[in-house]
Amino acid sequence: MFKYAVRRILQSIPILLIVLTLVFLVVRVLPGDPAVAALGDYASQESVNALREKLGLNQPIWMQYIDFFGNLVTGDLGKSAITGYPVARQVRRVLPFTLELTFFAIVLGYILGIPLGISAAVHRNTFIDYFNRIFSLLGLSVPAFYLGILLILVFAIIFPLFPVVGGGDFWDLRDNFRHLVLPGLALGLLMMAYVTRMTRSSILDVLREDYVRTAHAKGLLERIVLYKHVLRNALIPIVALGGLYAVVLIGSSVMVEIVFSRPGLGKLMVGAIKQRDYTTLQSVMVIYAVMVVIINLVTDLIYSFIDPRIKYN
Amino acid sequence: MRKKTTIAAIIALSVLFALLCSSAMAADLAKKQVLNIAFDAGDAKNLDPHRATTTVDRSTVDPIFNGLVRYPPGNQVKVEPDLAKSWETSADGKTWTFHLRKGVYFHPFPKQPNGYELTSEDVVYSLQRAANPDHSSYAGEYTGITVKAIDPYTVQISIDKPVSPTLFLAKFANYAGGFIVSKKALEAMGNDWFKTHPIGTGPFMFGSYEPRQQTVLKANPKYFRGKPILEKVVIKYMPNVASREFGLRTGELHIIEGLNEAKWVEKIRTFPDVSVKTFGPCEVQMLFFNMANDIFKDLKVRKAVSYAINRSEVADFMGKSLAVPIYSAALAPPAPGALTKKEAEAAGVVYENNVEKAKALLKEAGKPNLKFEAIISELATSYRKPMVALQAQMKKAGIDMKLKVVDHSSFHSLIRKDASPVVYYACWRPNCDVFLTRFYYSASEVVKGKKPDTGFSHYGAVDANGDGKIDSIDGLIEKARYELDAAKQSKLWKAAQIQLLKNVAVVPIIRLKYAFPMKSYVDIGHPLDFSWETYSPQITEKTRILAH
Repeated sequence: MFKYAVRRILQSIPILLIVLTLVFLVVRVLPGDPAVAALGDYASQESVNALREKLGLNQPIWMQYIDFFGNLVTGDLGKSAITGYPVARQVRRVLPFTLELTFFAIVLGYILGIPLGISAAVHRNTFIDYFNRIFSLLGLSVPAFYLGILLILVFAIIFPLFPVVGGGDFWDLRDNFRHLVLPGLALGLLMMAYVTRMTRSSILDVLREDYVRTAHAKGLLERIVLYKHVLRNALIPIVALGGLYAVVLIGSSVMVEIVFSRPGLGKLMVGAIKQRDYTTLQSVMVIYAVMVVIINLVTDLIYSFIDPRIKYN
Repeated sequence: MRKKTTIAAIIALSVLFALLCSSAMAADLAKKQVLNIAFDAGDAKNLDPHRATTTVDRSTVDPIFNGLVRYPPGNQVKVEPDLAKSWETSADGKTWTFHLRKGVYFHPFPKQPNGYELTSEDVVYSLQRAANPDHSSYAGEYTGITVKAIDPYTVQISIDKPVSPTLFLAKFANYAGGFIVSKKALEAMGNDWFKTHPIGTGPFMFGSYEPRQQTVLKANPKYFRGKPILEKVVIKYMPNVASREFGLRTGELHIIEGLNEAKWVEKIRTFPDVSVKTFGPCEVQMLFFNMANDIFKDLKVRKAVSYAINRSEVADFMGKSLAVPIYSAALAPPAPGALTKKEAEAAGVVYENNVEKAKALLKEAGKPNLKFEAIISELATSYRKPMVALQAQMKKAGIDMKLKVVDHSSFHSLIRKDASPVVYYACWRPNCDVFLTRFYYSASEVVKGKKPDTGFSHYGAVDANGDGKIDSIDGLIEKARYELDAAKQSKLWKAAQIQLLKNVAVVPIIRLKYAFPMKSYVDIGHPLDFSWETYSPQITEKTRILAH
C-alpha cells in the first residue's frame, strides 16, 4: 500500500511537469500585453516599455520558462504582475473559501443524493423514481451559476434570508455559514444530481447479483438486505467517483464564486485572466493541477480501503 | 439685571435649540455609517495615484489624496484651494508660489504610526515623482517643470514658458499626477508597497486590501476639513453586473457601477429605494481614420464615411438619457475649447448624414464598394454596440466594414501597432491641450512618432488634404498651450479642431455619461452633474448614509 502510494506520487511528477509546461505556454499565448493591462490606456509607450522590462517580458521565452520552474521549485509563487501583491498570500486567503464551498457541496450532495438514489432504485418505475430522476436530471442540466441566480432571487430578493455578496468573515461561524448557504446549495444540488443517478444505477446493478437473491432466499428482512448487502457494495463506485465529482465541482465553483462575488481560487483565476496577470494565473493553475492530482491519488487510495478485493501491484 | 437675565435666557435657548437641531440631524443618519460601493472590476490594479488609471483605482485614490488645488466636488472647471491655501504668479508668469496649509497630516503607516505633518518637501517629492516615467503614467504632463521648497510651507514651481491658469493649475489639482503623496512613506516602504498601501492626506485613509475582493478605507479623524461622517468605505471588485444588481437590491451594496445602457438604467429605476445618477463627463467616442493606410489616404473616402454616419441615430441607439451626439474633435462641451454643434455648423465641418452624397464621393474616389476590417474592443458599450450601429449605417452607403473583435488589452496593443485602418476610441482627457497633443500632435503618431502615443490618424505626418504638403496642427497646439488669455486659448483649440475636421482625420460620434445606481438613502453630500476628476460619484467627508 505504502509502495503503491509512493509509486503513484512519483508517477504524478511527469504529469505535473507536462501540465505546468502547458500552463506556462497557454498563459503566454493569451492575447494582450500585461504591461498595457497593468498601466491602462493612459500610460505612455515609455512607461509600458519600462514595465515590460521590469516584468521580464522582454526576456527570451526559454529564460522565462527557467525562471518559472526555478521559482516553483523553491516554492516561490511570485508576486502579482499587476499589483505586486504576493501570490502565495492571495492563495492562502482564498483557498479556505474554495475548499469550504467544495466540501459543503460534496457533503450536501451525498446527504441528499444517496437517499434519493436509494428510494428511486427501490421504487423503480414508480412516481418516486420518475420524480427523483427528473429532479436529478434538472440538477445536471441547469448550470450551477444559473441555479445560484435562481436561489438569490428566491432566498435573498423575495425572501431576504441570506446575503449574496462575498464570503463573510471566515472565522465568524455564523457569518461564514450565512454566506455559504446559497453558493453551497447551488453547487451541492449539482453534486446531489450526480450522486442520485449513480446511487440508483449502482443499487439496481447490485440488486441483480446472486448474493442478493441468496439473501432474499434466506428470508432476510428487506431492510437488512438493502442496507447490509446491497448498499455496502453499491457504495463502492459512488464513493470512488466522489473524487472525480470533486474535480468537476472545483471547475463549477469558478462561476458560482463570480455570481456570489465570493473569494476563491476561481475568482482569483478569472480576475487574473482578465488582467493578464501572468504570475497569479500561472500559480493558480498550478494549484488547480496539484489539487486534481492529489484528489485522484487520494481517491485511488480510498478505493482500496472500501473494496478489499483491489490489490495493488 | 433684567437685561442680563434676558441675554442669559436667549443664550440658553440658542444652545438648547442648537443641541436639538444637532440631535435631530444625528437622528437622520443611519447607525452604521459604512458605505459599500461595487465596481465593474476584477481587482485593483494600482492604488498609487500617479499610476491609477482605471475607474475603480481613480475612485479609490480620490478620497485618500489631495492636490495643491482641487475641483470642488460636483463642480466643473473652477479650481479652489486644497493643500495650498493661496498662490500667486510672478510678473512674467513663469513662477508660481504656493502657500501650504498648516496642520495637514499624512495618514499613519508602519514607520510613522501617528502620521506626520505635510511640508513642502512632500510636495516637491510628489511632483518630481509625477514627472518620472518610471513611477508615473502622467510623466509627459510634468516635463519642463521645476519644483523647489522655499520654506516648510512654501513651494515654488517654475516653467520654461508661461501657460494659462486653466492648463497650469489643472496639473496640480486633485487629478492623476497632481495628487500629493507621502515622501516618508515611499522612502521607508518602497514603491511596490505603496501600490497597495497608499498614504495621503485625504478624508479617508487606507484600511486594508483583499486581492480580487475589496479595499477598505477608514475615516481620517485628522482630516483638515473635518472628520468624515462615514466610518468606512468598502470598495468591492465585482465584475458581474447581475451580482452588483442583486447586491444593490438586497441593500448589501449602496452604490454600484452600472451599465451605460439606457434599457438597463430604465429597469434599475423601477427598483424600490434606488435612484440612478447619470453624470458626466464619462467618455467621448470618436472614429479616427488611419490616414497612413491606403484605404483612407484619400480625403474623399474619409468624407464619404463621415456622410454615411448618423451620430444622432447612434446616440438614440445607445439611449437618450445616456448619450449625446458630439461635433468636437477634442473632448466635448462643456469642456473649455470643445467645439459646439453651432460652431461646427458655422465652420462647415458637421457632415450631416447623407447616404447619396457618401455614395457619390466613393464613386468619385474610385472606391464604390469600399471594404475594410476594423479591429474593435470586446467592451460592449464603449466599442461593440456603437460600432455595430456604424456598421449598419455604412452598409446603406455601400461600405462593407467588417468588425474583428478582440479582448480589450489586445485592442490597445494592436491599435498602437497601426493594425487597424480605423480606430474607434472611447476616452476622456483633462483638457483640450492634453487631448489634442496625445491624439494629433505629430510626435504622438503611433509607431513612428518621436513619442508614440495615441496618434492613430497620423496627423502631422501625412498629407491629409492631398495638396502635396504635410498637414499639421502642432503650431496651433503649442500656441494655445502658451496663450494666457482663456478666451484666445479656447479659440486656438477650436481652430485646430476645425482644421482636423475639414481634413476629416476623425468623426466625433457621441459623449456617453456614467450611470451609477445608488440607494436613495445615500447622500453624496454634493451635487452630481459633472465629476471632473473621478469616474464615479466622489466620496467626501460630507458623504453619509441617511436613516432608512
